[in-house]
Amino acid sequence: MTGSAPTFPAPEFKEPIIAIVGGYGSGKSEVAVNLSHLLVQSQPEPVTIADLDIVNPYFRSREAASQLDKLGIRSIVPEGSLHYADLPIILPQIKGAIENRDGKLVLDVGGDDVGARVLSSLHDAFEKGGYEMLLVINANRPFTSDVAGCMKMLNDIEKSSRLKFTGIISNTHLMEYTTPDTIMDGYRLTQEVATKTKLPIVFLSAMSEIVTGVEPGLIDVPVLLLDRYLLKPWERS
Amino acid sequence: MAKILMKGNEAIAEAAIKAGCVNYFCYPITPQNEVGEYMARRLPEVGGAFLQGESEVAVGNMLFGAASTGQRVFTTSSSPGISLMQESISYMAGAHLPVVIVNIMRGGPGLGGILPAQSDYFQATKGGGHGDYRLLVLAPSTIQEAVDLMMLSFHLAEKYRNPVMIIGDGMIGQMMEPVEFPEHHEEPELPSNDLWAITGAKGREPRVIKSLFLDPKLLDDNSWNLYDKYARMEREEIRFESYRIKPKNKILIVSYGTMARICQTAIDELEKDGVSVGLFRPITLFPFPSKQIAKEAKKKNIENVLVIEMSTAQMKEDVDLAVLGAKPVKFYGETGGLVPSPDAVKEQIMKLIKNPNDELKRR
Repeated sequence: MTGSAPTFPAPEFKEPIIAIVGGYGSGKSEVAVNLSHLLVQSQPEPVTIADLDIVNPYFRSREAASQLDKLGIRSIVPEGSLHYADLPIILPQIKGAIENRDGKLVLDVGGDDVGARVLSSLHDAFEKGGYEMLLVINANRPFTSDVAGCMKMLNDIEKSSRLKFTGIISNTHLMEYTTPDTIMDGYRLTQEVATKTKLPIVFLSAMSEIVTGVEPGLIDVPVLLLDRYLLKPWERS
Repeated sequence: MAKILMKGNEAIAEAAIKAGCVNYFCYPITPQNEVGEYMARRLPEVGGAFLQGESEVAVGNMLFGAASTGQRVFTTSSSPGISLMQESISYMAGAHLPVVIVNIMRGGPGLGGILPAQSDYFQATKGGGHGDYRLLVLAPSTIQEAVDLMMLSFHLAEKYRNPVMIIGDGMIGQMMEPVEFPEHHEEPELPSNDLWAITGAKGREPRVIKSLFLDPKLLDDNSWNLYDKYARMEREEIRFESYRIKPKNKILIVSYGTMARICQTAIDELEKDGVSVGLFRPITLFPFPSKQIAKEAKKKNIENVLVIEMSTAQMKEDVDLAVLGAKPVKFYGETGGLVPSPDAVKEQIMKLIKNPNDELKRR
């Protein structure tokens, strides 16, 4: 590669609440943790992350809680033995945080319509003010690999959560096999979904060493550069 | 086919469909629930049906019934659920039925916890149910290997007309990795299941598939027939992988499943520091690669064999039996959902390099 790597504008948010929602394994937790990190660095308000994943037993944002604490991000996660449970626990502090709208609140929601159902019970708190509800799409996941699959996911989640999406996140990757083409293939699918739904692509998220390999000018939305927080036991950051 | 990103549980489900299995029964339990979710969504698309049993006991008997018809069938569960199926697993082994059972292991005993563990090694390899029977037990360490072994398992079940069990710790079910499915699935030819299965008795004598033999001579025959099958498995089905095994190594690690991958990270990092350690990873836990482990352990420079598991030293008993005192067999492990880190593994290895006669702390 010659010259300096392209730099991308980072996403910015006016709304105090950002709910990260999507299919199982679309990358919600990793995006939510990285977004919280970006927000704590890029704007003055306090940042809180809340783990609302009640359908997944492993690889939830709560696993990064101690790291987040060091970065100055407050996390609302179940304490004690409940930390390890996959029970339908919604901490009362989460409802309080949504109602108070104090600083920025990032919500890491469980996968599919089943995982997003938890939002339905918080519906009234959400409707008291502004919020973003963002659909994470990874085109390499089996049920969101085409427009029809993404539309079904979007409609099912809106139905079960009783909330409307406000935007889309393009988070297509193939772990260690991700190439710039992987990112662009996913971005194109997300663009089609955006056109069909009239929702904006709020940002694209990708590992910085790969997204910098994308030809300049092809990505015309903000980019969230990802670090890996939720590692497998044999992986090193 | 291009690679896609799948959770282990989803990949196991899709692999079964790709291997031509459209019969699946299960009862929900963490951490394997995505298999049922996936099958409920996918099976109607391929002409199959997912039926949730009223309990794991019911599911075990549904497997017996479906397998008796010569159709491919499988179930998935996790440790406590697998315990509930033991009666029917023994019945299916006794009745020579091909069936595939996947155990995505969580911490035990009892209800235990929902985090990854390898504490069902004894249950899988030494029986679990009653009587003189064995399961053919396969242990993948990656999602791709889980797919490959899942597709192979139906063939093995039919080749031996015996239940095959795939055991993966919770990590195998829950983590995501890129996987690839073969464009065309091919298997070696086997005699048709129609030769023994219940397919309708039109034009032939009715068949009875059972594990009840009141005549002791017939029961004795059945048990020795089973014994001969297991002996044949030991001759033909041993699978394992060696990693960085070199003549100069002083330590041989034996580890399986995702625990072996943690050991690989430790081994790779030690190699960079100039410390060479080899890993032996059994893929079949029954039949166990005893001769192959003994051969590696007896090599001149090996001072210690180090077994690392997420259990309180269950596989170690088989390694002890393989090595038969030729070299010391040491153990390191954590259980209950605690997963040893690469750093912890490195620390244990370095202790043994410095003081080969030391006993390791349990965890």
